[in-house]
Amino acid sequence: MDKFIVCGSGKKKFEVIQPLLEKPKVKGKKLDLCIVQEPDGFNYIIWKRKKYQVDILEKNQNKYTIMINGVWYSFTVETPISYKRRKYLAKTASSSKIERVSAPMPGKIIDIMVEENSEIRQGDPVVILEAMKMQNEILSHVNGRIKKINIKTNDSVMKDDVILEIERG
Amino acid sequence: MKIKNLLVANRGEIAVRIMRTASAMGIVTWAVKTSREPGAWYLSHADKVIDLSEDFEDIPIFLDVEKLIEIMRKNKIDAVHPGYGFLAESPFFAERCEQNHIIFIGPSPDSIYKMGNKTIAKQLARKHNVPLLQGSIGNVMTHSEAREVAGMIGYPVILKAAAGGGGRGMRVVEKEGEMEKMFRMAGSEAEKAFNDPSLFIEKYVRNPRHIEFQILGDKKGNIIHLGERECSIQRKHQKLIEESPSPALTESMRVKMGEAAVNIARSVDYYSAGTVEFLLDDRNNFYFMEMNTRIQVEHPVTEMVTGLDLIEWQIRIAMGEELILKQEDVNFNGWAFEFRINAEDVQAGFSPSLGIIEKISYPRSKNIRIDTGVKQGSVITPYYDSMIAKLIVHGENREKAIVLSSNALKKLWIKGLKTTIPFCRSVLANKNFRNGKFDTSFLQKEMKIYYHEDPEEEMLAAFFAAYDYALNLKSEDEMQVNFEKGKAITPWLLNKRLRSL
Repeated sequence: MDKFIVCGSGKKKFEVIQPLLEKPKVKGKKLDLCIVQEPDGFNYIIWKRKKYQVDILEKNQNKYTIMINGVWYSFTVETPISYKRRKYLAKTASSSKIERVSAPMPGKIIDIMVEENSEIRQGDPVVILEAMKMQNEILSHVNGRIKKINIKTNDSVMKDDVILEIERG
Repeated sequence: MKIKNLLVANRGEIAVRIMRTASAMGIVTWAVKTSREPGAWYLSHADKVIDLSEDFEDIPIFLDVEKLIEIMRKNKIDAVHPGYGFLAESPFFAERCEQNHIIFIGPSPDSIYKMGNKTIAKQLARKHNVPLLQGSIGNVMTHSEAREVAGMIGYPVILKAAAGGGGRGMRVVEKEGEMEKMFRMAGSEAEKAFNDPSLFIEKYVRNPRHIEFQILGDKKGNIIHLGERECSIQRKHQKLIEESPSPALTESMRVKMGEAAVNIARSVDYYSAGTVEFLLDDRNNFYFMEMNTRIQVEHPVTEMVTGLDLIEWQIRIAMGEELILKQEDVNFNGWAFEFRINAEDVQAGFSPSLGIIEKISYPRSKNIRIDTGVKQGSVITPYYDSMIAKLIVHGENREKAIVLSSNALKKLWIKGLKTTIPFCRSVLANKNFRNGKFDTSFLQKEMKIYYHEDPEEEMLAAFFAAYDYALNLKSEDEMQVNFEKGKAITPWLLNKRLRSL
C-alpha cells in the first residue's frame, strides 16, 4: 500500500515510497518537501526553498495529468501488483495495424483530401482543419491505405476525435 | 468638439484598456453586452451598458455597422472607439460615423481605405521612395496567373490576402508544384476572414525580422513616430512576444526607418495612431510591408518606453487637438517586453485550451503592467481569440528587463487552463534570444520543444500523482468510519503535517 510506480511518457518511471508520510522516497531519494494549499486556492510543493505551482488537470482512476509551473505531464500510478500486470499485458498485446488520425485541436473540417481506399504516404495532408480562424493541414504519420473516413466537409470536431483510420502498408 | 459619451465597439482587454483612459478623461463610457459573453469582465468597467444579450443575430454586433450607428443615435453617443479587429479598419464604418456626425476614433475613411488596399499602399510607398519587395502589380486572379508572376520574380514567394492582416490568408510557396494548393487555401482563408478572397504575390524574404513603427498624427498635418517595436517572435505569423526598442536597430537605422514610416503616413494625411510594418533582412535592408490603421495589441510596450498614453492621444486628436509633441520631444526610456498569455496548450501544437479560469494571480510591481479582459471565473470561449492577458514588463535596459520578466512569469499563476506561460519562459531562457540574435524563424530553428522542461519538475509532478492516489486510497478506507459519525473528511484536512515546515 505504500509503494507506487508512477509511469510517465516513453519508458520513464518513478518509484514513490510512502507519499503520505513526511520525507517520502522518490527514485530512492528522500525528499524533504512540503505541500501547501494556500487560501488563494493554489496548491504548491515547496522543495529546496523553491515554490512549484502544482495542479491535477485530469484524473481518471489511476491516470493523471499533473500540471507543474504551467507544464503538464501524464502519468499512470500503479501498485507493484498492477505494475506487473501492466508489463505482462504490454508484452502480449500485438502491435495494431490500424493508425488512427485524430484532431489535434477543436475546429471545423474545411477540406478532405483523401478518399476511402486511397493510398497515402507519410507526410501527405489528409484533411484541412480550421481552428481559431486559421487553416491547418493534418498530415499522415504513416504509409498505408485509408480504411475509414469518419467525417464530412464542414463537420465540427472536438480535440482527439478520430478523423480517419489508416491501415499501415 | 469635446467628447461626452464614448461607445467602445469592442470586447475583452482592449475594451477595458480604452474605458480606463476614457474614464480618466471624464468621458462617459458605453459598452455592449452580447449573448456570447453576457458576464464578461469588460462590462463592469463601463459607465453604461447596452444590453443586447437577448439578440441572437448572425452578425456579431461588433461587426454590424448599421446597428452600431442606430445604437449611438438613439443614446446620443457622440464618439466610438473600435479597438482592434472587428470594424477598426473598415473605411465604410468610419464613413457612416462621419455621415451621422459621430466621431470615429481613428484615421479618416480615406486613409483606412488607401492603406487597407495593399496595392494602393504599395504605389504610395513607391512614390515616396520607401523600399518595397518585388511582387505582383495588383491582385492575381487565378493560380496559373500566380504561377506566371512567381516565375518572373523567383521562388520562394508569399501569397497574401489583399484585405488581410493578422497572418490570415497568408501562404509561403516554395516551388511551382505547391502553387495550386496554396492558392486555394490562402483564398478560402481570406474569404472567411475578410469576406474578400483577393490575393497578391510578393517575393518571400527568408527569416526576416518584423519591425514596426508607431505613428501618431493630428488633423493639422503634424506626424511623428514613437520608435519601433520588435515583433519577430511569432508562430504562424501570430505575434507572441514583442519588445521596444528592437535589439537589431542602430540609431541611424532608427532615424532612417522612422522617416520612411512618417513619409508613408504623410502620403495619406494620416491622423490618429497607426503602425507602419517593415521587414528587415539579414543585411539590414528594410522593406515596407503595410500600415495598420488602428491601435495594435502590442501598443503597451511603446507606452512603457515613451511614457505616453496612446489611447489618450487618439481621443485628443479625434477631438481636434493639436499634437503638441514634436519628434525631438519624444524620449525613449529603458526597455519593455510584452508577453501574450494565451489559453493554448504549447505541448499540443498550441491548440486552444478552452474552459474556465478557476484562479488567476498576477505578479505585482511598479515595473509590471497587466492588460486583461478576464478575471477569476471567466470563460475562454471558441468565439474569440484565446488571449487571457498581456504581461508587460519594463526595465532599465534589455538585460534587466529580461531578468524582471523571468521573475514575473514565475509569479503569474493560472489554474484551470493550459497557457503559453511555459513557452514564454523557455524563450527567455534561450541564449540567442537573450543576446538579441533572432528573427521570425526563431521558433522553428531555435526551439526543439516549446516549453520549459525540467527533470526536477517532472519528478515532483510524478510524486504529486502518487500522493493524490495514495490519499484517495486512504480516504476510501476512512470515509466509511466517518460516515457513521456523520461527517466526511476532506483530503486536505488530513495533512496538517504538511504545514510543519
